[in-house]
Amino acid sequence: MLERLYTLFLNFREYVLLSAFVIASFILLSLNDKPQIKQLRAILTVTLGVVQEQIAFIPRYVSLGAENEILRRTNIELADEASQLREARLENLRLRRLLGLKARPGYRFVAASVVNKNLTLLRNSITLDVGEADGVRASMPVVTDAGLVGVVIAASGTYAVVNILLNVDFRASAKIQRSRVDGILAWDGSSLILKNIAKTLDVRPGDVVMTSEYSSTFPAGIRVGLVDRVSEQEGSLFKHVVIAPGVDFVKLEEVFVMVAEPDPERTALERNVEEFLTP
Amino acid sequence: MEHRLRGALIVFVLLIVQTTFMPFLSVGGFLPDLLLIWLVITALRRGQGEATVAGFLVGLAEDLLATQLFGLAALSKTVAGFFAGYFYNENKTDQTLGSYQFMMIVGLSSLVHNFIFYTVFLQGSDVPLIQTVIYYSAATTLYTGILSALPMFAFSRRVPA
Repeated sequence: MLERLYTLFLNFREYVLLSAFVIASFILLSLNDKPQIKQLRAILTVTLGVVQEQIAFIPRYVSLGAENEILRRTNIELADEASQLREARLENLRLRRLLGLKARPGYRFVAASVVNKNLTLLRNSITLDVGEADGVRASMPVVTDAGLVGVVIAASGTYAVVNILLNVDFRASAKIQRSRVDGILAWDGSSLILKNIAKTLDVRPGDVVMTSEYSSTFPAGIRVGLVDRVSEQEGSLFKHVVIAPGVDFVKLEEVFVMVAEPDPERTALERNVEEFLTP
Repeated sequence: MEHRLRGALIVFVLLIVQTTFMPFLSVGGFLPDLLLIWLVITALRRGQGEATVAGFLVGLAEDLLATQLFGLAALSKTVAGFFAGYFYNENKTDQTLGSYQFMMIVGLSSLVHNFIFYTVFLQGSDVPLIQTVIYYSAATTLYTGILSALPMFAFSRRVPA
């Protein structure tokens, strides 16, 4: 009997192997959310990050000259802008105090280098060389001087993985700076779009898009990009608004993680209401 | 045994190259799949059984280092390895590897791999499934197929005239 089974296995060895490994793969797919798997992947991400950090200077070295030139120019522009902003901040503080508005929570910026880019087009992510040791945790926003980059989804001791804007899992509440129209920022696999914009609302190409106050993850006022195209779809109540992101993800090398815990009072209240409303 | 150790070492190096340097060669966001090319070479040299096992192990290593669904690369690479193994012919290994047949096998295996990968990958997202799967599979397959010309030319030098 056993011999016959063995002969059968030998005759159909390839098919048995295929079936066994396909079943094993499906089992692994069902284990995605297990903490042990996440831990193992975090350890390996760190290991790969260490290797990549050692060799990442090679492609960077090539673009160093051009980068220096851009940084010098940006520095001059920012110095001018900073002095104007200082004035505006003082005025803002004075007016907020007069109106009795709540002060916005402060953020600490942790500078980080991009040590890996996982560009799979639909779920693009990057790995940073900062982690829990630097105070970086999941759900913290990541920005550059050009605008919003994404959100931290996982952090180990010294590395963090960030879901960038160009990721089908990424969502952020955003608004048009000029007309204050709100929408949901999302990546549809080929374009960054602002969803849920009714046809009657005022959105034009060239409008600046910023994060809005409705998100508990992203602080309001972070620049996202510019409206690139606005079109109307037949049979839909909404406009199709395509955004050109401010950040050039291909050339992205340095970013800042905005380290701050979300307002616990607001988070707890929103969670309570959500639980109350969920049947 | 020795060829397996050598294979493991090659896969390790290819994983590093794929995750570190290949993003700089991206065209329109699309990247060639070096590990798939290696898998097809393995299938043509060692046969269907070994390519199926290698596909699973390589995919698993890829899964552990990526943020995508765990087990997805293992699944798609297992099937791709099995598929590529159909073209195994121990009497014509060098001829196949050193001819345009190799590019065609890489292209077909890549198509099978990408079709499975993106179909599972896109489940639960808002993007139009069929259209996106076809678009992404075709583009990645084309790039991987073109890059497979490099090993093909290298192997063609070995084939006796």
